[in-house]
Amino acid sequence: MVEISFAFFDEDAKKEIRRAILKGIALPGYIVPFASREMPLARGWGTGGLQISLSIITEADTIKVIDQGCDASVNAVNIREFIVATTDVRATSTTGEASIIQTRHRVPETALTEEQVLVFQVPTPDVLTVVEPDTDKQKKMHAHLEYSKLWVLLYEDTASFGDSRIASRYPVEVNDHFIMDPSPIPRYDIPRLNDNPALMLFGAGREKRIYAIPPYTKVKPIVFDDRSFQMEDFTGKSCMRCGAENVFFDTLKKDGEVQYYCSDSDFCDQTLESRKSHAS
Amino acid sequence: MLLEIENLSKVYGKSCGQCIALTGDDMGTAICPVCGAVVAVNRINLRVEDNEVLGIVGESGSGKSTLLQLIYRDTKTTEGKMFFREMQGEDGEPVDIAGLNMMETVLMRNTMMAMIYQNPRLGLNFLFSGGGNIAEKVIAAGQRNYEDIRKSACYFFEKTDLPVSRIDQSPETFSGGQQQRIQIAKALAASPRLLLLDEPTTGLDVSVQAQILDMIRVLQKELSFSMIVVSHDLGVIRHLTDITVVMRNGSIVEQGLTDQVLEDPQHVYTQLLVSSVL
Repeated sequence: MVEISFAFFDEDAKKEIRRAILKGIALPGYIVPFASREMPLARGWGTGGLQISLSIITEADTIKVIDQGCDASVNAVNIREFIVATTDVRATSTTGEASIIQTRHRVPETALTEEQVLVFQVPTPDVLTVVEPDTDKQKKMHAHLEYSKLWVLLYEDTASFGDSRIASRYPVEVNDHFIMDPSPIPRYDIPRLNDNPALMLFGAGREKRIYAIPPYTKVKPIVFDDRSFQMEDFTGKSCMRCGAENVFFDTLKKDGEVQYYCSDSDFCDQTLESRKSHAS
Repeated sequence: MLLEIENLSKVYGKSCGQCIALTGDDMGTAICPVCGAVVAVNRINLRVEDNEVLGIVGESGSGKSTLLQLIYRDTKTTEGKMFFREMQGEDGEPVDIAGLNMMETVLMRNTMMAMIYQNPRLGLNFLFSGGGNIAEKVIAAGQRNYEDIRKSACYFFEKTDLPVSRIDQSPETFSGGQQQRIQIAKALAASPRLLLLDEPTTGLDVSVQAQILDMIRVLQKELSFSMIVVSHDLGVIRHLTDITVVMRNGSIVEQGLTDQVLEDPQHVYTQLLVSSVL
């Protein structure tokens, strides 16, 4: 049997990816191309995030993988098991215990710390793709901070609907410079990117791009001076399972009624547990 | 002096080095006899004053449009200099706009100079609404207040006699004449000191042509900016311009006050041009 090296990659591959990550951290919000590897997972299923996780992971790390907030989703389970199989590190579903959290489309409800790294899976790394399909032009537009086309989209949505229609992937300005795609996280999670103590890394495997938000970086959604940033409104709603409030909810329709459940399964479990221990 | 052009040349194709000297109207051709490169613009000297309207006439292929594209930085110059007063260096002196980088070019186009193309598809973004196209210029100039942007878009829609009720519709849904008006509105939103018009009314029916030309003239007086109008239609030139330049084979063959050039043409080619009006 062929022996698989620690974390699947050979050291040269890790070095190349780490270099891209370092460049991304040095230039917050800047999109760095990297040699996205062929993974035992189809492109578009989190290979970007997986490659970042595998190249930064050490024996001392604890890994958590979530998909839309859930640790038990098939995609999350597969990625977690793959990482554990190739590294033998400890896996957890508890946000507070993890040192690396790979996520698809959510930021955990539990506040992150300086010791943690949040790895995002990104389908469309360049925020300008919507207004300019030509990647060469996109690069130039970023270089010249020529983002007026994004603002025109915001203007048009505001004119027709009173607010931007973007539900997820809301464009954010990082470190007062580049405008960046935050991956398809809901608007609810956008303020969490700002001044976050954790290092946030973004990997797009299919598009072969990496970018980053270093800890404690200013991140703000693009919004007109005379408008304010609107988030999903869950006022008065609570989780059907654990009773939590002020979190991002999944909505389910059952018998014509809308039911709310925590999108973050770990947060839901913990709330439930603390309720139980309080009760007993 | 708003714009001063010195010895401006543009060669298309691989140049042998002598192209510019071997072509031009004196040589009777714009194609280099040695290497076959096309010298679209050949050692042009031009000056445009404040609030002046300059017309450029000439046959197809005479280099009129290329000259305009060179000024607007749509294409790179081969030789020569262009000084645009609004674009100043650190010493406060006008810089050669032929040497601008992309960022400076964007700045110039967003706040000082605008172009109106014959085909609205070149000047407008059809993915955005009519109002969005205007907003793009206002936003690019640094405005980030929604109500102000909206007001500007409505203002320029009204100014160009467009129905404000249709401001959020795509340019696709507007008629050809209206699309041209949106283009003009967009150009004006950049509050330009110099407006470049490349065959602005060609392809429109005669009554719409007249309306748009009248509108341009009124707006030019009201908002006071200079214009360079390229047209092969002498009617447009007569209607809009103070000064006329006649081009052939990439060179200027005659220039002077519009009335003078059209009433009393000196150069053989201008005489032919004026006499051949239908």
